[in-house]
Amino acid sequence: MADHRRLRRRWVLQRNLTGWAFVAPVGFFFVLFLLIPVLGVFWWSTQSGRLLGGNEFVGLDNFGRILTSIEASGALRTTVLFALFSVPAIIVIAMVLGMSLARVKRGATVYRFMVYFPVLVPPIVIGLIWVFLTHADFGLFNVVLRAVGAEPVNWLSTTNALPVVAAADIWRSVGYWAIFFLAAFLGLPRELYEAAHLDGANTIRRFWYVTLPGIRNILLLAVLMATIWALQVFEIVLVLTRGGPGTATRTAVYYVWWYVFGDGQVGLGAAISVLLLVVILAMSLAVVRLIRVRQA
Amino acid sequence: MRERLFSSRTVDEPSRIERAFYHVALIVACIALVTPFLYVISASLKESTSLFEYPPKLVPFPPYFGHYERLVSDSPFPRWMANTLFVATIVTVAKVFLDSLAGYAFAKLNFVGRNAFFLLMVAMLLVPYGAIILPLYAVVHAIGIHDTYFALILPPLCNPLGVFLMRQVISMLPKDLDNAARLDGVSEFGIYRRIILPLIKPSLVVVAVITFTEMFMSFIWPLVAVRDQDLQVLTVGVASMRNMTSVNFGLWSAAAVLGMVPLALAFFLFQRQFQARSIAGALKQ
Repeated sequence: MADHRRLRRRWVLQRNLTGWAFVAPVGFFFVLFLLIPVLGVFWWSTQSGRLLGGNEFVGLDNFGRILTSIEASGALRTTVLFALFSVPAIIVIAMVLGMSLARVKRGATVYRFMVYFPVLVPPIVIGLIWVFLTHADFGLFNVVLRAVGAEPVNWLSTTNALPVVAAADIWRSVGYWAIFFLAAFLGLPRELYEAAHLDGANTIRRFWYVTLPGIRNILLLAVLMATIWALQVFEIVLVLTRGGPGTATRTAVYYVWWYVFGDGQVGLGAAISVLLLVVILAMSLAVVRLIRVRQA
Repeated sequence: MRERLFSSRTVDEPSRIERAFYHVALIVACIALVTPFLYVISASLKESTSLFEYPPKLVPFPPYFGHYERLVSDSPFPRWMANTLFVATIVTVAKVFLDSLAGYAFAKLNFVGRNAFFLLMVAMLLVPYGAIILPLYAVVHAIGIHDTYFALILPPLCNPLGVFLMRQVISMLPKDLDNAARLDGVSEFGIYRRIILPLIKPSLVVVAVITFTEMFMSFIWPLVAVRDQDLQVLTVGVASMRNMTSVNFGLWSAAAVLGMVPLALAFFLFQRQFQARSIAGALKQ
């Protein structure tokens, strides 16, 4: 009896060791380079001082400073505005394109390749390409405007810069979500469409009553992910406008980078990062809940 | 996917007007998406001075290859490209191996803390790089690997997405497979190596494609992780060309064009897996 128990204990121990041996390599890097930094950003948001040493505990002061600092709150407003510009446009355009891709036969492969191509380009290069579109002298937009006899526009002025950055982000992202929606549309059971068709539903009704409910969860997921990505916009801003003119396109991540590595104001940067993390977490939980409610 | 697209649509055939609408939408989108690339390619084949000419020559003839020559022979660009390809390749190989290893354990083995640790990893799935660069930099500095290749290679290994995908795929394989092997006395690593891996090859390619693309495009971490000029990756290098004394737009456009080549090539080779990259998000449900 005792023998049996000892054997069993050894077996359990070995089972646990084997399991952890498989997980440990990734687990190690996960804890060191993701878990600890996430905890670290919360800790740092309560500190004042510089990146390496000289910290002091200041409680929630940094969060208060976000509200009072015109620059910090401005960066948050810019980020939200950017997401409001880009996310709805991305989702709507991508759905139209995904729908079209699902329904055409001729040229489907060519269309798919061209729609997807910008997705393969690093965001830095996207920003660069948009420099060549928006440049006052040789930018494509102004070349076209001059050709049709219109006045050239300053595309990166204080008022235009943010919408133009958003347009660049839309231009870069629609392909990704178009292919995503294409997969979702193809995954819908065809019988439903045939039934709707027999019932005499037209295309718009079919979209409203069959397609949209069918992809509800996937749509929610796409909105969530697109929003999360929009809140992190950085590369395009850096190359295209350097946050300017003035602070017109200084977004949250740009601000964190600029503050921490340029100015050394670690606490404020960390506080903004925490805010970003909390917002993303809250949105994710809300979407998971919405999806669950429907499935239950 | 394809069969579905092309199979019988006798009942649910789009009408002529509908189909015309779809084609128009796609053609407009394609023109809007492709023209900027053509414009930049055209700019890269002009001498810098003629870039400012009006009216612009849209098709530069004869093409001027001076920017490309200078970029390849007299600039750090080849070094940037080599760094990116080196780092991205190592991370991709390591990720495919480590993620499938962990995915196997999460899917098929039973051990203390399995579910808790997996949940922790899933919870961190959406943490953005931009939000943790500061403490990540502090960690990397503390273990003394800043300004080395290790700073570029090791931190990206933390990404839990591959583990998550691998677990989903492996847990869909029938239990009898590994149980039968276990009864035959095959070790767990032997089961992973000889039974599981061959079966999940297509998913391994998907993880490889996701990882490589992400590494190729990554910017903010390489930007803060290394200062040494010899360690700069492509994205950081190309961005830094703006800071040089005067922006040479011709050179810059050539760098943009060459910077697109590797992923475009990879896309031709692995088209299906790339599109699965878009769809991988849907699996998260």
